[in-house]
Amino acid sequence: MPDNIIEVRNLKKTYPGGTEAVRDVTFDVRAGEFFGFLGPNGAGKTTTINMLVNLVKRTSGDITIDGLKLEEQPREIYRRIGFAMQEVGLDETATAREMLELHGRLYHLPKARIDSQIDKLLKLVELEKVADRFTQTYSGGMRRRFDLALSLIHEPKILFLDEPTQGLDPHARQLIWNHLRDLNRDGMAIFLTTHFMEEAEALCNRIAIMDKGEIVTEGTLEELLEKHSAKSLEEVFLSTTGSNLGDEEVNLNASDPYARARS
Amino acid sequence: MATFFSDWYYLSIRSIKQIWRPLLALIPSLFIPLFFFVVNSTSLSAFSKVPGFPKVSYRDFIAPVALFTAVFFSSGNAGIELAQDISNGYFKKLLIMPISRLTIILGRLTEVAVQAVMQGSIVLILLLATGVRINTGILGLLAIFAMLILFAMAWSCLSMITALRTQNVRLVQSMFVIVFPFLYLTTSQAPMNLLPPAFRLFATYNPVTYVIEGVRALVLNSWSAPAIWQGFLVASVLFVIMVSFTLSSFNRTLK
Repeated sequence: MPDNIIEVRNLKKTYPGGTEAVRDVTFDVRAGEFFGFLGPNGAGKTTTINMLVNLVKRTSGDITIDGLKLEEQPREIYRRIGFAMQEVGLDETATAREMLELHGRLYHLPKARIDSQIDKLLKLVELEKVADRFTQTYSGGMRRRFDLALSLIHEPKILFLDEPTQGLDPHARQLIWNHLRDLNRDGMAIFLTTHFMEEAEALCNRIAIMDKGEIVTEGTLEELLEKHSAKSLEEVFLSTTGSNLGDEEVNLNASDPYARARS
Repeated sequence: MATFFSDWYYLSIRSIKQIWRPLLALIPSLFIPLFFFVVNSTSLSAFSKVPGFPKVSYRDFIAPVALFTAVFFSSGNAGIELAQDISNGYFKKLLIMPISRLTIILGRLTEVAVQAVMQGSIVLILLLATGVRINTGILGLLAIFAMLILFAMAWSCLSMITALRTQNVRLVQSMFVIVFPFLYLTTSQAPMNLLPPAFRLFATYNPVTYVIEGVRALVLNSWSAPAIWQGFLVASVLFVIMVSFTLSSFNRTLK
């Protein structure tokens, strides 16, 4: 097994309108690591994570996941990764159980394993009692939890999470944090983008802060505090990203056809 | 290869379930063709006495149109559902699965085919109950469904292309109205020789005319009618062109 489960070299993304969303980003994520990717709105976090999972085409740079080049073996990589996106995209006309079963089938898992995974995951996210209800009846918190379960159906080696607790109440957030800690303890590498400092502090082994498409600092929490003579991650964040109010997000999203569709 | 077919199968099952979720959504596309059939066959029945009209009742003349319309009206759902998947983000989940992306489109086309058979069968049973007969027999019936399925899948591609290019559910839904000029600027209500010249020109270049005439020939005439192979040819060519455009739009969406 490679030491680095994710290797990103000189990654760039320039959208057709000319907006440079990601500018020459290089970083590694180690096997079994809980890696936090922080940044203000519009910093390029979502574009980066979307390039890592092949949902956005990169302008240049190399991405290697679990020793495999993204452009050479994308389907092999898809088998090894799970992704809970910022937008919780669910099939509103299906029940949670149906969706989990479909995803298990599409990951080509044997039926017995699908059944055991469904039971385990529904229990994990505390949705056993509503498993046969259509997902359109779920609250925001239930949808987030279910989305997490869906991304775990094939027991991926690496879990990508894009703002997984956004819009959740403290109880639901704590519940998800506990699940993520357990998954990481069991050996799963987790790549988390967030702009909640306390989330990164509570969960991540190592943190990179991104601003205006570039990584401005990277290290463990202790390393970052020492390097920036700060008392908290929030201080590190503010000192490295300045007073960026995230105005660029509008421009970045305008270049994303899916974002246009949502607006 | 085995996984390709199993992925296609499971994605088809997912899409097929969406046909009756919710069940009420099926009613308009069943009711409207029958409504037009009843209203037109009653109010325009005297039209069959006009010189130059084929030697059949007006009811029999427009019965194939009711069958065609039932399929025509429902074939846009695949695009609406695809646009919903795109706009709510579910489409992205499918894109990062270890499946051939072609199976996502094939699953939708299978849904269209199943819906065409379901709705066509219900309308056909009601037409048979009113006394309409299929002159080409059971084989003719199978040929009617084959032609309708090909056309329905081709037509559904129009809404899927719109979904892939615009990612906008409202726009895809609004495409439904295009059905009407394509349906009425044909020989659906009167034979070609009785149409005014300008109308006849539109009908001649409207591919829907050939599919309606093909179905009509299978209902009213015999296997020797040229309209049958012409209908199949038009439906097949449309199918190939539209599916190719859909796949091209699909690939472009991913960039």
